[in-house]
Amino acid sequence: MTTTICGRCKSSGAVTDHQGRQDGAVVWTILRCPTCNFSWRDSEPARAIDPAVRSADFAVDAGDLQRYPKILQQ
Amino acid sequence: MNDLPNRARSISSLRDFLELLEDSGQAITWSDPVMPEPGVRNIAVAASRDANGAPAIVFDNITGYPGKRLAVGVHGSWDNIALLLGRPKGTTIRELFFEIAGRWGDQEAQISFVPEAQAPVHECRIEQDINLYDVLPVYRINEYDGGFYIGKASVASRDPLDPDNFGKQNVGIYRLQIQGPDSFTLMTIPSHDMGRQIMAAEREGVLLKIAVMLGNHPGLAVFAATPIGYEESEYSYASAMMGAPIRLTKSGNGIDILADSEIVIEAELQLGERELEGPFGEFPGSYSGVRKAPIFKVTAVSHRRDPIFENIYIGRGWTEHDTLIGLHTSAPIYAQLRQSFPEVTAVNALYQHGLTGIISVKNRMAGFAKTVALRALSTPHGVMYLKNLIMVDADVDPFDLNQVMWALSTRTRADDIIVLPNMPAVPIDPSAVVPGKGHRLIIDATSYLPPDPVGEAHLVTPPTGDEIDALSKRIREMQLGALS
Ligand SMILES: [Zn+2]
Repeated sequence: MTTTICGRCKSSGAVTDHQGRQDGAVVWTILRCPTCNFSWRDSEPARAIDPAVRSADFAVDAGDLQRYPKILQQ
Repeated sequence: MNDLPNRARSISSLRDFLELLEDSGQAITWSDPVMPEPGVRNIAVAASRDANGAPAIVFDNITGYPGKRLAVGVHGSWDNIALLLGRPKGTTIRELFFEIAGRWGDQEAQISFVPEAQAPVHECRIEQDINLYDVLPVYRINEYDGGFYIGKASVASRDPLDPDNFGKQNVGIYRLQIQGPDSFTLMTIPSHDMGRQIMAAEREGVLLKIAVMLGNHPGLAVFAATPIGYEESEYSYASAMMGAPIRLTKSGNGIDILADSEIVIEAELQLGERELEGPFGEFPGSYSGVRKAPIFKVTAVSHRRDPIFENIYIGRGWTEHDTLIGLHTSAPIYAQLRQSFPEVTAVNALYQHGLTGIISVKNRMAGFAKTVALRALSTPHGVMYLKNLIMVDADVDPFDLNQVMWALSTRTRADDIIVLPNMPAVPIDPSAVVPGKGHRLIIDATSYLPPDPVGEAHLVTPPTGDEIDALSKRIREMQLGALS
C-alpha cells in the first residue's frame, strides 16, 4: 500500500509524480514530499523509504529548513 | 583488429560506441527482469569491481519501464577507455596516459552543423505535458540519495551576457536531481562555468537557457569533464582530442548540441529560486549534504527513437567516475607542469579526482621535487583538488603502486613532508576542516642529492626491457597452458 508520509522528514501530503506499469497494471508509484523534496518509489527497500526503519543520519528536520545552506549567493 | 584507431575515429554517437564495445566483448545486455532499486545499483556496483575489464551494461527489462533502455558503465573500465582511444584491450594505464598527453595540439577541431530536421536527436519531440519520468528509466543511484539523479548529463549553455559567442558556450558535467515531472535542480559551485553563468544571469536579471544532453558521443564526457580555458569550446576541444569530426545541431531553445545524442532536455533557470537538493553519494565515497540549489523548468524534450538513457554509478571507488575522468584529470596537470618544469615525467591523479596525486620528476637539485609539488598546487585542477601529493623519481612509475610504495619505503624521511594548513578544498571532501577549507600534504619520496650528506643508495638494477617483458608474457602463457 502506498503511504504519503515522507520517509525522510515525516511530513504528510506527498504527491504522485509517476506510476510504472507492466502489462497494464501499476507496479510502482513515484512520490515526492513537497516539504523536503525527497522523492521515492514505493517499491524500494524499507530501509530507504520507511520512516520507522530509515537511518536517522539522513533525516531532514521539517521544522528547521532554514539550516540548509543556499548555494550561489551573490 | 588492426583498424582500431580508424574505428575509434569513426564513432559519432553512443550507439556507435556500444557497437564497438559489443564487438570487443565489452558490452552486455541485461534482459532478465530487474527492479529499479536495488537491482540496477547492485549490478552496476558488481560490474565496477573490475576496473580493468568491466563491460558496459545495457538494461532492457527494468520492471515498470517496458521498452525503455538504460546503459551504465560505458566508460567503466580501462579496456573501454582504451577502445575509445583506438587502442586494444589490455593497454596499460600508463600507455593510455601518454596516448592522451600526446594528443595535445596535434589535431584541428572538425565541427560540422546538421540542420535540425535531419538531426537524429530531434526524431521525437515533446513540448507539452512533459514528464521526465515518462522518458527516463531513473533509479536511486545510492540508497540515501535525496531523489532520482541524472548523474552523467552534459549540460550546454551560452554565456547569458554574451549569447552569440560560440567559444563562450559552456559544456560541463553536472549532477541533476529530478524535482517533479518537469523540473530539476543542478548542483554547481561558483568557480565552475555553470555556477558563474547562473550568478551572472541572476545578477543581471536575464534568461539562462540550457540544453541537457544524455547518451552522448563518448569522447565528450571524457574531454569536457575537466576545466579548460573558459574561452575554449569544449566541442572543439573534444573533436581535436578525439581526432574525429563532431556533428552539432541546434536545440529547440537555440543552443549548439550534439546532433547524435540520445536525449536532450531543454530548460530555463528559475531566477533566484532555490530548492532543497541532496544528499548525493559523491566521488569521495561519501554523501554530500542537503543544500538549496538552483532550479530549472523543462520547456521541451527531444530524443531519438527508442532512446538509451545513459547513467553512471558513482560512490565509493572504484567506480565509472574514476575511469571516466582519471586520465583526463592527470594529463592537463602533466602538460601544465611541463611548461615550467620539463623534468616532470608523468602524473597519476587517478585517485578520487586527484585528491591524491603521484608525480614523477627528475630531480634537478636537492629538494627540487618539493618545488614542483608547490607548482602543481597552483595548476587549475590543483588549486582545489590536489590534496595529497607523493613525489617520486623518474625511475619510479607513478602508475605502478608497488613501485610508489618502494619509493616511500626507501626514499622518505619523516621530515621530508610539507603540510600546508588551511588551504582551499573541494566542499565535498569529507576530511576538510570545514567544507571548502582543509590541509594539503606533500610527501617527497625522491632520492637524495648533494648537498644532502646521504646521497643516493647503491641500487640493485634488476634486468628490464623488452626481453624481460617477453619472458613474463611467456611465463603467463605457460601458466595458462598448464590449465588447459
Ligand atoms: Zn519530506
